[in-house]
Amino acid sequence: MSDMRTFPEAASARPDAEAPAAPLSAGPRGRRTGAAPLSNDSRIAVDIRGLVERGEMDEARDRFGELVALHQRRASRIAYQYLRDAGEADEAVQDAFVKVFTHLTSYRETWPFEVWFTRILINGCLDRRKARTRRDRWFVPGEPSSADEARLAATDAAPDPERRLLARERRARLAAAVERLDGRQRAVFTLCHYGDCTPREVSAMTGLNESTVRVHLFRAARKLRGLLGGKP
Amino acid sequence: MITRARHLHDDRLVDCYLAERHGEALDPPVAEHLSDCESCGARYLALSQFMDALRDEADAETDALFTPERLRAQQQQIARRLAGVGRPARVISFPRRIVRRTITASTSRMAPRWVAATAAAGLFVGVALGAGYEWGARVRTGWQGFAATSGITRPPRVTPIPTRVAAPPDVADDAFLSELEIALERPHTRELQAFDAFTPHVREISDQSR
Repeated sequence: MSDMRTFPEAASARPDAEAPAAPLSAGPRGRRTGAAPLSNDSRIAVDIRGLVERGEMDEARDRFGELVALHQRRASRIAYQYLRDAGEADEAVQDAFVKVFTHLTSYRETWPFEVWFTRILINGCLDRRKARTRRDRWFVPGEPSSADEARLAATDAAPDPERRLLARERRARLAAAVERLDGRQRAVFTLCHYGDCTPREVSAMTGLNESTVRVHLFRAARKLRGLLGGKP
Repeated sequence: MITRARHLHDDRLVDCYLAERHGEALDPPVAEHLSDCESCGARYLALSQFMDALRDEADAETDALFTPERLRAQQQQIARRLAGVGRPARVISFPRRIVRRTITASTSRMAPRWVAATAAAGLFVGVALGAGYEWGARVRTGWQGFAATSGITRPPRVTPIPTRVAAPPDVADDAFLSELEIALERPHTRELQAFDAFTPHVREISDQSR
């Protein structure tokens, strides 16, 4: 199982890379077809790009806050599923937003902003995973953050300590099962299932063929069911 | 002859699940089969429940970790990091005095001179200190040598240990010799006892002489 495998076109997922030549066709949730209007986030991104190009940086920064608010929660969820550390996920999300802002002039509206942003985010997460593996080779691997544990315990809805413990064990089991997925399977599963992306969008983000995305997703689901005994 | 449609493969079920989740319409024959075939319907239901449970669990976990406060803090942090983007970089002048001066041929030669002067001063101070230390050591040893040759003695620093009163020689000798004998009688000197037998004892000689 290769954790560190990146996607074949991973290099093109860099923020300064060109958008794919063919525009993405419509998604069911208002994604754009060829001449369909831009989605809300893409429109904001285009506006900000204009502001940056005109040198109105303060205005651009203010508008960028809207984009952050739109994508922040979903981005944090994806990053956390990749990294399994809230602090590191937080940093990865911040880095992705900063990178997006600094490279916004290279954004092309032929590509939905969500897809462009998510590519940047997952590449950052993959880089962090690589760095962590390198670190763990030389140092004792770190334990999960105790602050995260405390936060989970504090916000756990179950009042019963036994239930809380069971929930924690279930989460650990689930995380371990997802961790055992092949690198691509995990990426596809995370994006589709936790990132609310359609296979078409995942295909655009990862550079994989759409049918390949579906196959990876199916295999991931089958493997998870096998590992978790049919129930999470 | 009526032929039943084949059961749906798992990958089709996953496709159906995805389509349903994203609000897409199911393929009509597949939708029909799912409603007609009890087995496939049950499999689809199990798959949907499993996937939904996975998602709910993950959502609950991330919602617990990324609280609204934390997300707000994250927004502020991003805004802080973006505050410097696009602003011209500030050049810190260092060292200020040298930067203020116009660089001429004489000032450009100033730095090596200062470096050389500082190095020379350091060397001089080092040598002087070393020589002084060595001279001090010589003076101390020279004083001791001079004192030894001239007979001048310094007063002793420690208080003298009171000397014991000397015992009469014969008693002392006796004690010493008896200690020797006791030592010879110990087991580890047993192999020397043969030689001891041939040797006249001091005690016997002293008794005879008395």
